[in-house]
Amino acid sequence: MFETVVYGFTIGAILYFFSIGLSITFGTMQIVNFAHGMVYSLGVYLFITFLPWLGGVFPLSAALAVAAMLPVAYLIERFIIRRLYGESLDYAIIATYAVLLIGADLIKWIWGALPQPVSDPVGLYFQVGQVHLPVYRVVVVLSAVVLFLGLRAFFSRSVVGKVVIAALEDRDGVRCLGLDVNRNFSIVFMIGSGLAVLGGVLYAPIATAEPYMGFHILLVSFAVVIVGGMGNLTGTFISAFVLGMVIAVTGRLWSSAADTMVFVVMALVLLREPIIGSLSRLTGRRLAG
Amino acid sequence: MNDRSLAAELGPALGGRSRVFLELAIIAACFLALTTFVRLYWVVDILIFCILIMSFDLIYGYMGHLTFGHFLYYGTGAYVSSLVLIHLSPNPFLAMLIGVASGALIATVLGFIVVRLKEAPFALVNLAFNQIGFWLANAGLQDYTEGEDGLSSMAETVGFLDFTSQWSAFWFILICLLLVFWLLRTFTLSPYGIMVRSIKENENRVKFLGYNTFNYKWLTFVISSSLAALAGTLYTLYYGFVAPNLINPFGNVEIIFAVLIGGAGNLYGALAGGVVFKLMSNYLATAITRWELLLGVLLLILVFGFKQGLTGFTAKLFRRYGPGRKTEVQGNV
Repeated sequence: MFETVVYGFTIGAILYFFSIGLSITFGTMQIVNFAHGMVYSLGVYLFITFLPWLGGVFPLSAALAVAAMLPVAYLIERFIIRRLYGESLDYAIIATYAVLLIGADLIKWIWGALPQPVSDPVGLYFQVGQVHLPVYRVVVVLSAVVLFLGLRAFFSRSVVGKVVIAALEDRDGVRCLGLDVNRNFSIVFMIGSGLAVLGGVLYAPIATAEPYMGFHILLVSFAVVIVGGMGNLTGTFISAFVLGMVIAVTGRLWSSAADTMVFVVMALVLLREPIIGSLSRLTGRRLAG
Repeated sequence: MNDRSLAAELGPALGGRSRVFLELAIIAACFLALTTFVRLYWVVDILIFCILIMSFDLIYGYMGHLTFGHFLYYGTGAYVSSLVLIHLSPNPFLAMLIGVASGALIATVLGFIVVRLKEAPFALVNLAFNQIGFWLANAGLQDYTEGEDGLSSMAETVGFLDFTSQWSAFWFILICLLLVFWLLRTFTLSPYGIMVRSIKENENRVKFLGYNTFNYKWLTFVISSSLAALAGTLYTLYYGFVAPNLINPFGNVEIIFAVLIGGAGNLYGALAGGVVFKLMSNYLATAITRWELLLGVLLLILVFGFKQGLTGFTAKLFRRYGPGRKTEVQGNV
């Protein structure tokens, strides 16, 4: 049971790393950004390539992979996302999905379609009762908590963070104040992309890297963003860990149902009001709440 | 403007009976012509896909509700008809009837809740239901659906209808496609269709005029999903094999691509998009190794260059170079 809880926290931490960028893009630009999955998977593959070059030093390779993906993220923001602002939802989805597709095929082209395993960088285990657990998982969870605190400071102290937080509320209002939302958003978009790469790198030793890894985490992260409230950063943090726990517990009881359960939770959250509406329609009177 | 005067206004647009038959004959002729270029096996595949695309175009192109859950109904039709063929009776018509009815039933129940949402939540809740359906087919109901191994079924021969003969299947499915086209054409040009398109343009205004938009949206959702289930049953009858990829949520992306290639909100666009997409994915995917890369680039060009798809592009050409260009102030319909 303890093992499941730790696993749930680990998955939650990874989901949090990935979902921040998605949530901010959704909140400020009203764009469902599938290209986020491309940045994530391409970053992990770069990391796997850098690792042997740098003599297997995990943090250095991770930093290099993040640094290498920042220009790519900038190009995506500048030439895809920004041109999609104000477009209808579906065109944005198609365009960013196209980027995801290109990314997956590039990976297959360069690295091949076979999954690539990454070994545990810490390699130590700790014991609780009868179970042995890798220390690495605790490191992942702690780094997510540190990230949460760091982001809170960033969004409440720095000018860039404040502008983006204000733009989440009212984009046009911020522009009326003479502030350049696009430039600040661009910076935050790159931070979000870098964190997605970092999340992918941290996840790589737990799972394996494969060309379509971006597709899978995207679907679950949509659920995280929806459950947490689009553009709500604290909500994203909480919902990432709640859904991570949902995956871990369901996976333990019935492994094939793990991802489906996440969607059940998301559907219930989205359908809260429609269900109340349907019930009141069926019973012919308004229900409280 | 009440419904009756709307209908009177639309009279010329609907055209006479001869106009409808002409359109249907042209579509049939196009598909027959296609059989000379492409193997018959693939043409039937395209026909089934086109029915699915048209059903999706009703809810997305005409009503403006993007859904990621259309494959749920496609897969439901396919699985239910397959189960009917195996356990109940090998009669293809019974399998079709029960397959479509089950799709309609699920759409009626889920639609009652789902159509209260719109935009991203609508798309994502449908995706969630589709994922649940995929899981049921893949693992949850493994005892009935055989999981990843899939189900094999065989339909009996009834009169001329023999699904082991390619030409017999082609004609039957072509007739189904023409019926669906005729049905959707009549729907979308009727006052009901005007209402559905008005919901796309501005739902609040429609509500303000005193119409109950909920019922229209619910009905459209059920019709669209039932036609998707019809496409699913035809797939089962033709291939005699059903696997979980028929209900996989990622399949929805193909539908959206096909509709956008052809141009959304136009039945001819849906047909053209279905044909072009299937030809591309059948030929280019075997001819070009980096097919997904090419598809991605094509989609980017499509989104940033040709928003209205093939039909919008040809209409633009026609307006610019065709006859009667002085009257283009009328705006697009």
